[in-house]
Amino acid sequence: MAVNKRIPARNRRRRVGLAWVLGLVACLLAAPMAMAAKYDVVAPGGSHDGDDVEQPIEFPHNVHVKDNDINCMYCHTYARRSTVAGIPPTSKCMGCHKMVATDKPRIKALTEYWEKKESPPWKKVSDLPDFVHFTHEKHLKTLLFDREFPVEDVKEVCALCHGDVENMTVAKKVKPLNMGWCVNCHIENKELGAPGDCWKCHK
Amino acid sequence: MMGWGGAGTLLAGCDMPSTVTLEEGREEVISYLSPEEYVIPGVGVWYASTCTQCAAGCGIHGRVREGRVLKLEGNPVSPVNKGKLCQMGQAGVQGHYNPDRITTPLLRSGGSLSPVSWEKAEQVLAEKLGGVKGDRFAWFTGSISGHQLSLVSSHLDAMGSTNHFVHEVVNNSVAQSVYADMFGDDAPRLRIDKAKMVLSFGADFMGASESPLLYSGDYSRFRTAETRGLLVQVEPKMSLTGGSADLWMPIRPGTEGVLALGIANLLLNKLKMSDAGIPADVREMINKYDVTSVARITGVAGHRIQRVAALLQERSPSLVLAGATVEGHTHGYASTAAVMMINHILGNVGKTIEPGARVPFPQLAAKRGGTADLAAFAEAAKGQQLDVVIFHGSNPAYTAPASLGLDDGLANIGFKVAIAQFPDETAMAADLVLPVASYLEDWGTLAPAFLGGEAALQVQQPLMEKLHAETRGFGDIVLALLKQRKAADFDKFEDYYGYLRNAFAALPASVKGGADSDEAFWNGALQAGVVMLPADTAPLRSTVVAFSEPREADDAAGGLMLIPSPRMGLWDGRHANLPWLQEAPDQISKVVWDSWAEIHPETAQKNGISQGDLISVRSAHGEIRTRAVLLKSVHRDVVAVPLGQGHEVYGRYAEGIGANPLKIIDPARDAKTGELAMYATRVSIKHVAGPEQFGLVKAGGSDTQAGRKLVVTVSAKQLRRTEGA
Repeated sequence: MAVNKRIPARNRRRRVGLAWVLGLVACLLAAPMAMAAKYDVVAPGGSHDGDDVEQPIEFPHNVHVKDNDINCMYCHTYARRSTVAGIPPTSKCMGCHKMVATDKPRIKALTEYWEKKESPPWKKVSDLPDFVHFTHEKHLKTLLFDREFPVEDVKEVCALCHGDVENMTVAKKVKPLNMGWCVNCHIENKELGAPGDCWKCHK
Repeated sequence: MMGWGGAGTLLAGCDMPSTVTLEEGREEVISYLSPEEYVIPGVGVWYASTCTQCAAGCGIHGRVREGRVLKLEGNPVSPVNKGKLCQMGQAGVQGHYNPDRITTPLLRSGGSLSPVSWEKAEQVLAEKLGGVKGDRFAWFTGSISGHQLSLVSSHLDAMGSTNHFVHEVVNNSVAQSVYADMFGDDAPRLRIDKAKMVLSFGADFMGASESPLLYSGDYSRFRTAETRGLLVQVEPKMSLTGGSADLWMPIRPGTEGVLALGIANLLLNKLKMSDAGIPADVREMINKYDVTSVARITGVAGHRIQRVAALLQERSPSLVLAGATVEGHTHGYASTAAVMMINHILGNVGKTIEPGARVPFPQLAAKRGGTADLAAFAEAAKGQQLDVVIFHGSNPAYTAPASLGLDDGLANIGFKVAIAQFPDETAMAADLVLPVASYLEDWGTLAPAFLGGEAALQVQQPLMEKLHAETRGFGDIVLALLKQRKAADFDKFEDYYGYLRNAFAALPASVKGGADSDEAFWNGALQAGVVMLPADTAPLRSTVVAFSEPREADDAAGGLMLIPSPRMGLWDGRHANLPWLQEAPDQISKVVWDSWAEIHPETAQKNGISQGDLISVRSAHGEIRTRAVLLKSVHRDVVAVPLGQGHEVYGRYAEGIGANPLKIIDPARDAKTGELAMYATRVSIKHVAGPEQFGLVKAGGSDTQAGRKLVVTVSAKQLRRTEGA
């Protein structure tokens, strides 16, 4: 049906190769201070005591992020490329869980979905109204990549809006994510280029 | 303190509107199972396909995000629309996502239609088709081309029938036969862009025409050329194109041919142009129509006629066009021929009228509909000559004038099958309804009849999965019918996609260009959305046929003439179920969500009618009621009621709105081509009730500037004096 406009295989190999080299260099340089990276942009005050959300599978963020040190963007891979961070495709879960922890009841439930060729019907936790144009891509560019903050510590950037997810099992909304809260942050971080125009969010 | 989340929950508890999307854990967010690597949620991917909202066959690009098609735009490589898309094309998504789509097969039992399985539907259909012989079977469609036409033709062959009725309300069938007789090509390329002046007799080429965007593109080049093109429009009711004219002249309906003869008279007798090639009796007829008598008959001022004739001679090459208001009379052929004769006199053939680009495969070339087939179908049905008819892409139960007696005719047909997307009048009168996929879910090819000098096959591909599991593609439905009859030829194709792949692989190497393989050629065709073909062209000739006097014997009889005017938007009524198009104000009257009758203020005053009054419009064949809109952009002898409204059934957005003027027109036909004389019905009008608040909703309040200089104007005289022009 659709024509796949692939990146030519040759270029892909070169990019992957480059990434390896850069990654290695970054690791060597960053190793002594890896634990020390502390993010300096502060989220505005205000909290939200969100509902406990019942998910089809009780997904433990803490096991993935804290215990196994998996980068947020490994699963929420669209965050840097799109408006939405995205729920990982089920194929991504199964990439590990074909082998890992296959005896656990939650993984058995996941495998059942996979074998039925269905994705679990996850419930939305963080959302904005449809008249708000929010983009993960721009926020990560400004707050992570442009400031050359170590990508392996991206969870500190995510935590500005999503809270301490590494200590949660099922994610819960803990920040207000309302207009006043967004605007406060944009005012405080004007020098980072945070826009103040109405139409930036209400297009 | 209670947060917003709490308030939302509380309100939801009281059954008040709440901000549901902001409450955690309410909405599902389902991930892909195993996406293609180029799919990114939140980022759209554009795919090429083809629009089927009218018969023009424009190329489109559809933005697809998370498996849903969200936005349509024009495809820049399409030779029809070159990247543009009209409002009807834009509204295509509303047909696709329409809540009133038919989602299961329906079978009539005990007087009403009820849902059945496809197995049952196919079994009943096979039974009925098995029991019908030869010409007692028929297909009834709208304009159709490409591989869908090829399949329908094969099915007719297999059934041993020659009955394919092709019907369109918006057509140029009469002009087609004039073009064929005078220029030797029934679809010549009209180069508006090459003309220095266009004189259009009611041709709404940018609105309701056979290819609105092709001509709009030409028009923009015509206007931006070094010598800005001059557009003169003569018509009884201002059209969208007429609204853009430099000079717009109202004309008494049905007298356009007389005006053409008057202009020819001036060109030949006064401006001394050559009369070579004009038959003697036509030359004699021209001599009869001097300026004074033409002005009297047509209602166009004599000095204007003289000025237009002089301009035509001065601004060469020019182009003279004839539209539906010229064609739609009992003398439609004669009038159109008289208009086209001016092109011959001015030597425009070969300069602004070029050979059309034909698709080199005749089985794919467009079958263009008209109204002659509608009348012939009504006759055949009334005469009990049809046992099984399959309807697709046309709604004759709505478009047929009551005077044709199609209602009785339909009752005489043993078994009516509608392959339909919506519950329209024809589908609801059928015995079996097969739910068809929308054009954004279906495969197909279209061979547009009008192209910018190059022949092309437009490719239609699904932009997303089917919304309703029980719908089937049109090609798939016809292919299944063919498998029942010609298993040996068609069983090898698993589905219509397979049929198309095979057809594309079988195209000659000259079409495939340098593609490495059939796979590469197919992928290239899908990516571009169009396959360019070597055009089949033949040089034109410039002749004048003999034609009868282009006027009615009783054109002085008086009375008002009904103009059932089609427009870009609701078209022939097929788009009345798309809210965007109902909401888009009419280009001239600015009315939304309704029918109306356009009347000249003087005519209204004579009949005691004022703005917004409910009036009755009565012909010899019935009456419609609608509200009056007083406008100076109609001739005094005209009542213009737009097409598109007055649906009895057609879903929640169309039902119960306005009136259908097609119902009350006379069954008169053009003497030469047999097309219905759609613009030749005499009517009377009567005041029924006064205006009501919100009786008629119009965008824009006033037609005058009330001295506010919103648009600053300067008289031509002053301009000549001060700008030295």
